[in-house]
Amino acid sequence: MNRNLNIWFLSSLFISLIVIIPILTVFSSFFENTSDYFGILKNTFLFEYIINSIFLLVSVLFLTFIIGTGSAYLVSFYEFPLSNFFKWALILSFAVPPYIYAYSLTAFFENYGTAYTILKNFFGEANYNKHIPKFDGMLGSVLSISLSLFGYVYILARASFLYQSQNLIDLGKNLGFSNFKSFYSIILPSARPAIVAGLSLVAMETLAEFGAVDFFSINTLTTGIYNSWIAFDDLAFANQLSFFLLLFIFALFILENLSRKKAKYHFNSRGGFKRKKKLRLTKNKSLLAFIFCFLIFFLSFLFPLSQMLYWTIKFPENLFDLNIFKLFLNTVYLVSISSLVLILFSLVSNYGNRVSNNKVLNLFSTLSISGYAIPGVILAVAFITFIAWFDNNIIKSFGFLSIKKLFFGSILGLVLVYFIRFYSLAFNGIKSGYEKINIYVDETAYLLGYSKRKTFMNIHIPFLRNSLLFVGILISLEIIRELPITLILRPFNFETFATTAYISASEDLLEAAAVPSLFLILIAALFIMITSKYILRDNDE
Amino acid sequence: MNKNFFEIKDVTFSIGGMNKVNDVNISIKNEGDIICILGPSGIGKTTMLRTIAGLEKINKGEITLKDKVMSSKKIHVEPEKRNIALSFQENSLFPHYTISKNIYLGLKKNSINNKNINANEIIKILDISEILDKYPHQISAGEAQRASLARSIISQPDLLLLDEPLSNVDQSFKEEIQVNLKKILNDNRVTTIVVTHDSYEAFYLGSKCALILNNEVKQFDDPYNVYHFPNSVEVVNFLNRGILLPAKVTGGNSLENDDLGIIKGKFIKHYPTGSKVQLLLQPEDLEHDDNSNLKLEVVDRKFRGTNFIYTLKTASNRLIPVAVHTHHWEQHEINEKFGIKRPIELEHVVCF
Repeated sequence: MNRNLNIWFLSSLFISLIVIIPILTVFSSFFENTSDYFGILKNTFLFEYIINSIFLLVSVLFLTFIIGTGSAYLVSFYEFPLSNFFKWALILSFAVPPYIYAYSLTAFFENYGTAYTILKNFFGEANYNKHIPKFDGMLGSVLSISLSLFGYVYILARASFLYQSQNLIDLGKNLGFSNFKSFYSIILPSARPAIVAGLSLVAMETLAEFGAVDFFSINTLTTGIYNSWIAFDDLAFANQLSFFLLLFIFALFILENLSRKKAKYHFNSRGGFKRKKKLRLTKNKSLLAFIFCFLIFFLSFLFPLSQMLYWTIKFPENLFDLNIFKLFLNTVYLVSISSLVLILFSLVSNYGNRVSNNKVLNLFSTLSISGYAIPGVILAVAFITFIAWFDNNIIKSFGFLSIKKLFFGSILGLVLVYFIRFYSLAFNGIKSGYEKINIYVDETAYLLGYSKRKTFMNIHIPFLRNSLLFVGILISLEIIRELPITLILRPFNFETFATTAYISASEDLLEAAAVPSLFLILIAALFIMITSKYILRDNDE
Repeated sequence: MNKNFFEIKDVTFSIGGMNKVNDVNISIKNEGDIICILGPSGIGKTTMLRTIAGLEKINKGEITLKDKVMSSKKIHVEPEKRNIALSFQENSLFPHYTISKNIYLGLKKNSINNKNINANEIIKILDISEILDKYPHQISAGEAQRASLARSIISQPDLLLLDEPLSNVDQSFKEEIQVNLKKILNDNRVTTIVVTHDSYEAFYLGSKCALILNNEVKQFDDPYNVYHFPNSVEVVNFLNRGILLPAKVTGGNSLENDDLGIIKGKFIKHYPTGSKVQLLLQPEDLEHDDNSNLKLEVVDRKFRGTNFIYTLKTASNRLIPVAVHTHHWEQHEINEKFGIKRPIELEHVVCF
């Protein structure tokens, strides 16, 4: 239907523009001059930043592929003790952000750490420190990030395995393939688009990771951006580093999009679909499968949870030193406002796209959802750059008061950047809900006398209720874990569980970081459990 | 003042910038009349309905309902303000409401309408009482189509548009639903346009049929005339209920074919003696008579319930369809000789 400009179209356009501005700012700032510091850094550290980023990326991709695909394969195709429990328990790893994992790893393996205490309690006093391996530096970063992010690969690979027809497996048997040969020559290739999509998400998150690599003092492009802005106050150089990082990210973004499209075709395959029967494993194999999955579940979730719980119990004074209630309220406050704003605007934007069916708007929407590919550090810096430029060149030229205070160190600025960062999550979540509503439903509503607004309120919103709840919880989960944006833009003296944990850890007060970390893990785990059915797409099963 | 209840005047229907049906002129004279739009798939029938409903715009011509312009190049009344209901071929039920709520959503809107449609009766006639508490994903495509139909009728529109309304209904049930549907529409004087590719459905439901072929309305007439007096070779080919034989006009009411000899009947259109024409021969035109000296070979026999349709081969290798009642005293097998009663006299002679 050819419709004219309307309020829905204009609202959608406006929302898309808000999200696109920081992306454009990053690109435009690449061509600006910088201070002398840039020259020095370029010849010394930039190379190190890039090498570290690439090494981290490749290692994390390798580990997450093995862990994510292996565990997804086992729980999708086989029955073994607790296989149904592992199916959803493995996604609890999302509740532990890489930086909290890093704290746990250090706390456990450091000199006189938890490992030492355990050994001492069992075997008495001795110099165990030199025998306890140290998981810090690059190795620590790789492990922390991998065990926190393998869930992306696990979820997408599992969904893809879930939709693979029994016919495919039967075909392999018919051709005389062993289970292993069936896996690498039939199952794995047909799940490839989904696995690549999962790995691309891992790659983007890895390149954007700040907390863990900063804790282990590994210099990557992301920490470089943060440090050049915080330590050297060089916004232009931060932006230029961002540009390099964005080149990586956009390449991944394109790869991920292409893979996702293919993955979608894969999921939609209909003809001749036959539900798989899970194979019951024999005793030894069943034990091996159980050990593999339990180990991953233990390392990715139980271990950091236990470590944080142990320290919270061991140092109870930290529990009372912190104003937990205030931290909780702050976190809830941020989460509620941001989720509400994101859901509301994404809903309007989706509906605007739906009723306008305009090519320009579609292009803008596609650009605007690329925000999730841009690391939080870059977004925060780009946002500051844009506001500073706008304030200096536009606001002041009209003789108005500076607007910097309105956006810097304020809830408004924080929510706005969260909005840009997580807009794609909200937009795509609601969009996938909308895709289930046939366009004829809208047209029928019009023909029954419903206006566009009434169709939106009375037909769409009730239908999308579950999607909105799901999206709301996903956003909350992201915001609770989010670190760099909150660190850079939060108001003075406004702390969340994430920032409190980070600040304590960066001051070498790891035991003090345990309390906020524990609360963060528990809240995030609760959210994951509520939405696990949606995350795992088990409603299709 | 426009005297037709509904009228399409010189409208070109298009979608996505592509013209589908050009220069259409169709009208419904009285409130409560039913017309059918008949044509092959993809020809633009659905586009026509969508445009009439206001879901698409027009750049040429005018569509009026009850003397009010609904669409023209300058005017476009929004769909929600037309009081026109469209029952889509695809499932358009609100997925999160029960069938009952879906249907009664239609009723609420027009509770003050002067028509007094009995919703319960419609639900009963369309045989959907059993599924009222179910959700759309729990019912079959045929049930969804009937529920959607009920909702459209109950909404008491000024004009009801039905897009292939029974395409998903089981064949065994289809005829019964057709009868009931026609009864509901007639009893409640619901002015209706039905789109279908099934000519039997169109001939049964509509008091008039518009045939859309090659981007235009080829014929707009009552079903009897469309069937017996098709106005073009395209219409004959589309209906596929006869063949065209070469013949030569031999007088005011006769013509001659090389295989069948002299054929007599009343010409629908005058042709000068000696003209070479294409004669339309339909299955009902020829009669079986094994005593006749005109005998043709049976090459195929189709059982159609009431009739057998024989396909006979002429000396010049043309295939002629002949309908014979299944209770007829003598039937023939393939390869046997089949006699044609002479002299051949047709009710009406249609030539091109």
